[in-house]
Amino acid sequence: MWLQIKNLRCGYGSLEVVKGVSLHVDAGEIVTLIGANGAGKSSLLRSVAGLLAPWRGEIRVNGHDMVSQPPWRNVSNAMVLVPEGRQLFTDLTVWENLLLGGYHNPDRRMVIAEVLEKFPRLRERARQVAGTLSGGEQQMLALGRALVARPRFILLDEPSMGLAPLMVQEVFEVIRRLKEEGVTVFLVEQNATAALGVADRAYVMETGEIILEGETADLRRNPEVRRAYLGKGYKEVWE
Amino acid sequence: MSIFEPRYETMPREAMAQLQLERLQALLVRLKRNVRRYRELLADTRVESLDDLSRLPMTRPEDLADSFPYGRFALPLREVIRLHSAVGPEGRQLVMGHTQNDIRQWGRLVARQLVATGVTANDVIQINLGNGASGSYSGYVLGAQTIEASVIAEDPFHIDYQLAMLENYRPTVLVTTPTNAAALVALLDRRRIDPQSLHLRTVLLSRPVPEAERSALQSGLFARLQGNFGIAEVLDPGFCVQCPEGRFHLNEDQFLAEVADGELVITTLAREATPLLRYATRVSCLLRREKCPCGRTTVVLEPGARRDSQVLVQEMPIYDRQIRDVLAQTSAAGHPVQIEITGSEVILSLTVSTRIFDDLVGTLEQLQLEIESEFASRLGIKAVVRLVSPQSDPRAATG
Repeated sequence: MWLQIKNLRCGYGSLEVVKGVSLHVDAGEIVTLIGANGAGKSSLLRSVAGLLAPWRGEIRVNGHDMVSQPPWRNVSNAMVLVPEGRQLFTDLTVWENLLLGGYHNPDRRMVIAEVLEKFPRLRERARQVAGTLSGGEQQMLALGRALVARPRFILLDEPSMGLAPLMVQEVFEVIRRLKEEGVTVFLVEQNATAALGVADRAYVMETGEIILEGETADLRRNPEVRRAYLGKGYKEVWE
Repeated sequence: MSIFEPRYETMPREAMAQLQLERLQALLVRLKRNVRRYRELLADTRVESLDDLSRLPMTRPEDLADSFPYGRFALPLREVIRLHSAVGPEGRQLVMGHTQNDIRQWGRLVARQLVATGVTANDVIQINLGNGASGSYSGYVLGAQTIEASVIAEDPFHIDYQLAMLENYRPTVLVTTPTNAAALVALLDRRRIDPQSLHLRTVLLSRPVPEAERSALQSGLFARLQGNFGIAEVLDPGFCVQCPEGRFHLNEDQFLAEVADGELVITTLAREATPLLRYATRVSCLLRREKCPCGRTTVVLEPGARRDSQVLVQEMPIYDRQIRDVLAQTSAAGHPVQIEITGSEVILSLTVSTRIFDDLVGTLEQLQLEIESEFASRLGIKAVVRLVSPQSDPRAATG
């Protein structure tokens, strides 16, 4: 089990955002957490990455207890976060951003070469300042920067955010390839259609709680998921 | 023997406990949001471990009957694609709904049992479950479809036709009730037919039977015998898997089992339409967690006797109250009656007044016929009526 969370509660000030969530990600899986804006998805991810201290609960990454561990410890546990909104160093070049992604990795120059093989467009723009890239290219760079740390477990926060549909397809294709290379992925997404298309299993989060869990094929057929996230409406005919 | 879904059937204990906790927590959220009765009962209740389960309210069969038909449904009726009824307490009707996912999952769970029994896509399956078992029948069909085995989509009532099907279609797997299996053995014996001339490889019985009965049926049909154990209100078949070692392994990724005061209590973890929280099954049970040579890691159930007045007559669950209700619809209403139930029939010793007893034979026969036909049409079971003179039956109770 790469990630095991039990009864996680966290929030901001006195506001509880994640209300006792349990979930897990097995090795080699792509697991997605879907939910509407404000459901608590990103807060949960920030807690896993060590950026938001949990109020209660257990977080174990690859068997290691991560509660109260500093975020950099995660990287040495082969886990990397690709944050929401990419969070690139926009004044630095593509190459420099990639270099920073391998801060812990002595073989970073070799790995950067491999990453650039995967993302030919980044190779073409290696000397270009990151802030001048398109949204899609910036997302590729954020993913590439994470891969330079040679992660075995990668956390992705809303990689489709602000991207055109074609770009979304491309980004999700990269995620699918990551799985083929043996990387375990925990994907937090609002774009349920895209996320359920790529993941093996999924959790559905609403107002800080998990309301559904299951294999993605099953969740795509679930009436509540279809209504709330896949745009299939119906009139309420009960009670 | 192979395992259909090793991911769940051989899941390490710690991983299963994590999955069950996740599903239980999500279930509570859904129940609180979607089912008014559970919302009132649960209020702000949360669980942080599986041990907290015992703090949650129980669901009794009477609660389900009180909220009949749709009071416990967790989704709008339009999402429910199939409704199955079950016999509830004292014969009151219960209804269970299934969504598309519930049906698909049901197929996978029954497939686990079929695969554990050695059934493959190359097998032909004959299903003879008789009347009143349409729910189970469709469960087996779903399971067979899931593993792409062939199903003979006929369930003839008469044993002669069942035997003809066994001879003509040459099925390799027979799914049937113990009563029906015994009738087949007797028929083969009577007609001097060698069971080896049939092509049966495996017989799957609809309920557990004692070892002696099992051995007799196994040699009488010359086929491997496997059993099933299910709870109609929860799921039957597909509730658990009897492994080649003869142990009933609960499908723990779907059901959470406890034993409270000796009674099996079940929580459905993933059912969409009619989820049940701590459902008191009225069945005595022991749970054993032990390493099984079959490789399955899931908890083993040892079902015992029923704890209510339900009995099986021709494999149909019947309550004493149902019998009295049927009698009340006939001219025998109000007469003292003694009820004796065997596995195959209900024997009613009806004490009639001296005036009626001395009356014409025709009147008496009419009364017998009326009662017997009411039982056949309302309960689908055979009733035998004996008319008893009041002088000869001092024990008769008022019906």
